Amino acid sequence: MRFFNLPPQIVRLILLIFAILVSYLVARTLLTPDTFRDYGFFRGAALSEHISQHKPVFAGKAACGERHPDVLKTLAKGSHKNLSCEACHGVVSQEHLKDPANKMLKPTPQICVRCHEASPSRPAWFKQIIVKDHYSDTCFECHLPHQPNEAP
Amino acid sequence: MLATIGGVFAGLLALPAARALKKKFSKTTAPSDYDASKHKWLMCLDVDKCIGCGLCADACKTENHVPEAPHFFRTWIERYIIKKPAPNSITLRGEVMVDSPNGGRGGFPPSLVPRDEILKAFFVPKLCNLCEASPCTQVCPVGATFDTPDGAVLVDPTYCIGCGFCIQACPYGCRFLSPETKTAEKCTLCYHRITRGLKPACVEICPTQARVFGDLKNPIEDDPLQAFVHKNKVNTLKPHLGTNPRVLYANLDKEVR
Ligand code: HEC
Ligand code: HEC
Ligand code: HEC
Repeated sequence: MRFFNLPPQIVRLILLIFAILVSYLVARTLLTPDTFRDYGFFRGAALSEHISQHKPVFAGKAACGERHPDVLKTLAKGSHKNLSCEACHGVVSQEHLKDPANKMLKPTPQICVRCHEASPSRPAWFKQIIVKDHYSDTCFECHLPHQPNEAP
Repeated sequence: MLATIGGVFAGLLALPAARALKKKFSKTTAPSDYDASKHKWLMCLDVDKCIGCGLCADACKTENHVPEAPHFFRTWIERYIIKKPAPNSITLRGEVMVDSPNGGRGGFPPSLVPRDEILKAFFVPKLCNLCEASPCTQVCPVGATFDTPDGAVLVDPTYCIGCGFCIQACPYGCRFLSPETKTAEKCTLCYHRITRGLKPACVEICPTQARVFGDLKNPIEDDPLQAFVHKNKVNTLKPHLGTNPRVLYANLDKEVR
């Protein structure tokens, strides 16, 4: 059979191009992820998958402050006002979140030293001490951790 | 014959069309209360405020379950020590020494350079520079890494083949191949936190506000990012590479790479 009296080699060529085109379209439809190009040249679902597959670990200062408004208020008065609770206390544990009776471990003076030990690399505005020359290493006797400029 | 071929052709053309229609009317992929197109997140860093406590590098590993080994980091701190020039050397500054023991995670040990030989020293926090023209997304052969509309650069772990091109392409060394998932990993700006209204872990934990974080599309009152750019003379890392980092640094020394 003949189309419009076209020579057979042309018909074959048309059919070939046609087959290539069709297989391209089939492959493209089957291989393109559903949410491709939702936001750009990538799988849009990757965003929501990333969000749902990762749960926050650090609770954040706001969450701590909701349960400890008194501590938050004292902290805001002193020069530690910019510190997050979890900087000293560590990550709020799941046990503590579920039941406040499961107390968090108390921070040790080691954490104070980590920030305040004098170092030539630390900026000059930051208050530093040479720990071995500074009274004793039990900082809390003389500094309230939440209000370091106050003595207990 | 002609009709059959035409029919098949039309049918196949209809398939993608139907798909596009379905996409238009089905729900979007975004979480119901978060619209990625309505935010543009950015972090900026003030070198003069960093005290090198290393809590950020530590918090990042905890938050993102980054492999423990001391060469996998999404954010880390570098200590720069610039020595005084040798006498009669006709230079203003001497040797530059950079170290980052365990990424600064446990704080920094006292430096081996005696205090009186140090011209100046400072800490520089590093993280993904959120490039405008990110080399890492350009080289990915499978399109697994991409710039999200809200300003993060993420890796789709289901598409990443772990070839490592992006790790070589990043001029800031911000990527690594995770030995656990065998895919590329990097700072996500704590995407799972910022989309839930929290700050990234490193910003949350930073005691001196050396890390400033905000949303360019929703500036708050006294916006920290705007104040940062207003108050400081800002710079980017390796500007000559044309990557156009969005992350800005204040008080950056010329030695910082
Ligand atoms: C500078 C580090 C630091 C920061 C920041 C900090 N704490 Fe503390 N906190 C401590 C230390 C140290 C102790 C233990 C004091 C002691 O042993 O007497 C403590 C004790 C506590 C206690 C127990 C108090 C008691 O009377 O037994 C609570 C509750 C507490 N902190 C909550 C918070 C909250 C909430 C925040 C954030 C708003 C916060 N802390 C921020 C260092 C810190
Ligand atoms: C995460 C870092 C960090 C930790 C941990 C930390 N501090 Fe501070 N501390 C700061 C910053 C930041 C300031 C305020 C900046 C300044 O004035 O130098 C500060 C200020 C101080 C001051 C000066 C107060 C003043 O205004 O004169 C004292 C004293 C102090 N801290 C004691 C402590 C003690 C004691 C601990 C342990 C419970 C501690 N710090 C733990 C970061 C820290
Ligand atoms: C015996 C009481 C005492 C103990 C213990 C103590 N301090 Fe102090 N600290 C002081 C006094 C008093 C000052 C203020 C005057 C001064 O600088 O000596 C001070 C000042 C500071 C300052 C501010 C320094 C400055 O330049 O203004 C910091 C920071 C500090 N202490 C941190 C600590 C840390 C960290 C510890 C624990 C390792 C600690 N202190 C233990 C009494 C104490």
